[in-house]
Amino acid sequence: MRNLRSTVAAAAILALAVTSCASEKATGGAAPSAAGGDGVTTGPGVTADTITVGVMTDMTGPYASFGKTLTQAQQLYFEQLNAAGGVCGRKVELVVRDHGYDPQKAVTAYTEIAPKSAAIAHFIGSPMVMALKSRIETDKLLTIPMAWSTNLLGARAVQVTGTTYDIDMINGVDFLVKEKGLAAGDKIGHLYFEGDYGESALNGSVYAAKKLGLTVVEQKIKPTDQDMSAQVAAFKAAGVKAVLVSVGPRQAASLVGVALAKGMDVPFLGSNSAYSPQLLATPAAPALLKDFYVATGGAPISAPLPAMRKLVSEYQAKYPGEALDSGVSAGYPAAAIVGEALKKACEAKDLTREGILTAHRARGAWDGGYGTTMDFSLIDRPATRATYIVKPDKEAVGGAVIYKEAAVSGLAEEYPVPVG
Amino acid sequence: MSRTVILRILTGLAAVAAAFAVPFYLDGFWLQAGLFAMSAAVGAIGLNLLTGATGQLSLGHAFFLAVGAYAYVYFGSEPEGELGGLGLPTPAAAVLAVLAAGVAGGLLSPIGGRLKGQYLGIATLALIFFGQHVLFNATPVTGGYNGRAVPPLELFGFAFADSPGLVVLRVPFGALERLWFLGLAVLAGAALFARGVLRGRPGRAMNTIRDHEIAAGVMGVPVARYRAGVFLLSSMYAGLAGVLLALAFQRTVPEYFGMLLSLDYLAMIVIGGLGSVAGAVAGAVFVSLLPQLLTRYSDALPLVSDPGTGGLSPAEAARLLYGVAVVAVVLFLPGGLAGLASRTRAAGRRWFSPGSARRRFSPSSPETTSPESTSPETT
Repeated sequence: MRNLRSTVAAAAILALAVTSCASEKATGGAAPSAAGGDGVTTGPGVTADTITVGVMTDMTGPYASFGKTLTQAQQLYFEQLNAAGGVCGRKVELVVRDHGYDPQKAVTAYTEIAPKSAAIAHFIGSPMVMALKSRIETDKLLTIPMAWSTNLLGARAVQVTGTTYDIDMINGVDFLVKEKGLAAGDKIGHLYFEGDYGESALNGSVYAAKKLGLTVVEQKIKPTDQDMSAQVAAFKAAGVKAVLVSVGPRQAASLVGVALAKGMDVPFLGSNSAYSPQLLATPAAPALLKDFYVATGGAPISAPLPAMRKLVSEYQAKYPGEALDSGVSAGYPAAAIVGEALKKACEAKDLTREGILTAHRARGAWDGGYGTTMDFSLIDRPATRATYIVKPDKEAVGGAVIYKEAAVSGLAEEYPVPVG
Repeated sequence: MSRTVILRILTGLAAVAAAFAVPFYLDGFWLQAGLFAMSAAVGAIGLNLLTGATGQLSLGHAFFLAVGAYAYVYFGSEPEGELGGLGLPTPAAAVLAVLAAGVAGGLLSPIGGRLKGQYLGIATLALIFFGQHVLFNATPVTGGYNGRAVPPLELFGFAFADSPGLVVLRVPFGALERLWFLGLAVLAGAALFARGVLRGRPGRAMNTIRDHEIAAGVMGVPVARYRAGVFLLSSMYAGLAGVLLALAFQRTVPEYFGMLLSLDYLAMIVIGGLGSVAGAVAGAVFVSLLPQLLTRYSDALPLVSDPGTGGLSPAEAARLLYGVAVVAVVLFLPGGLAGLASRTRAAGRRWFSPGSARRRFSPSSPETTSPESTSPETT
């Protein structure tokens, strides 16, 4: 028994000794920010020769193909940036983490990469961003979410690019009235996903409809629903003159396909997440090519802009034979936003997170040549209110062409954006 | 005092010391993943009482987790704008949240008492869809699709949050480090209680119901009452896991509490070993940590290329390896991880004490996964 007691005591002492001996975490709680040899103040994620930028993507979940092109486009940007000398004489290194659209994995991955990153170049999935929004805000970690709902606004560290879904829908309804012959008293259908994406979009359509004297016929579905026959029947019975579509590409294809088969000949207007060029290889293609439009804040990759043309040829040179979808046209500019914020912060000799955020938020009109002028000084409003109307096209790169150039409708101009 | 007992105590102490040392050495990734694993372990112990020990399949575990998590947030938050809240002290909110999950389980326990096996599984499947609908639409309580911020737990003036700052042995103690110890305490308590239930009269009654319902009835076990009771108990465990999960997440996410979560829990108890506490804990750690570890370290694996350069990406490799591991456990470890542990222990005993070789043929085979084979050091 005495033997046991001494063993226990020894074990306890051992445990204490182990606990108190040198740990890498034992910093005494001092702030890690310090000035480097070149007079640049650095923060987390920045060392003497590298700047680490995190990417929280989805390569195994529902947005796997989008996540892949996004990541590749951003890798292309940072490779070019490094080839041109990097930022502040430092190379930019991407750390990619896949969360598979699972909030738990996203939270763990964020906990891992946040302390060693200077910014997050893209973060897929608004449930995941929402789960981490307050931590991102506390960490002051510049983050570009790849989601466009209004609940992502209102945080200084989170930069939603382009328009939000509601702005797109307001401009879209305005387009339908001006160019597709809708008039006061008409009904418009709105098919939307339960959740922030669909409900953000619905806010916009309801606002625009009220202002223009239209009535919205709502049909809410879940992302797991696949067959839209019941919704088409409901829209047909209500006699809608146009249908807004804020669902996934698969549901959008089902909707327009079924509607065409049932002889419902109305224009369809999708949110930017409702269309993907892969749909043109499905039986829904004729219906999509007929009278389907997409309202989006970002220019499609086929846009006749020099920067976009250059991106297409460089991307195709690096990833030959791979699809050019909206991941490329969204990812590369997002990387450029981060890259240029880093450069600005470098000019101010302050590569701390606060310095990067200040540099980023100081830019009142940025477009980088990608067709969307954004005001990053707005924290609780979208960076732009101009929406492109895009039409599917079999021949174009990225499967879509501009139908109507980016424009801000009067309605969208005065629309009070709900935040948070 | 025999050598094996001393050995067990020593291993136990080493495990406790290691668990205490973790927050001093490992970074946030490990703590966050560990917290999720602890919360999953609490939930899995509860499900194992229901499914493993009593033979009642439940697919509604995610629903009770959601009840626990959201009830804690509702009871503990101050009302703010259109969001309601009771603003109770957070420890009271945590206890009430577990009770709320118990009440939800109690309301359904008449169903839990009457249906058996897979029929209960189908009935509880509906709960998930009901739960998701409520989470998305009862905005004043749940925050809808936005979810809600989780108020940090404050126990006797000590907040499990990043502020006010705290430095222990020169290591800055943030929310994760503090929650780690809370998680350990909750898990230890939950495991001890479940072990007590399984080893006592109720445990034997539950096992008898699982193995032969009629025999149990004949021996005087009130079958329906036991089934209803264990359903309630398991839902309270899920509620407790939900509270811990909410604290680890710091925000509730409605999407999370879906079908896949329930299936993950079933995977945990099958992989870990049905019917034992240690099995549930081992399975929970396996299922929640393995994919994370594989994703984090998969770039060190052969045949894996950097993400975005084509070829097999680390994330895909992680998924494949996880699948292989699950299949391997199910194929080659009939008793799950707990069965493997007791088999290695038995083999070790034979190896180290030559005199005990004849004990191999003793009637109590060491390979059974009875509650006795669970050991305190793994809980």
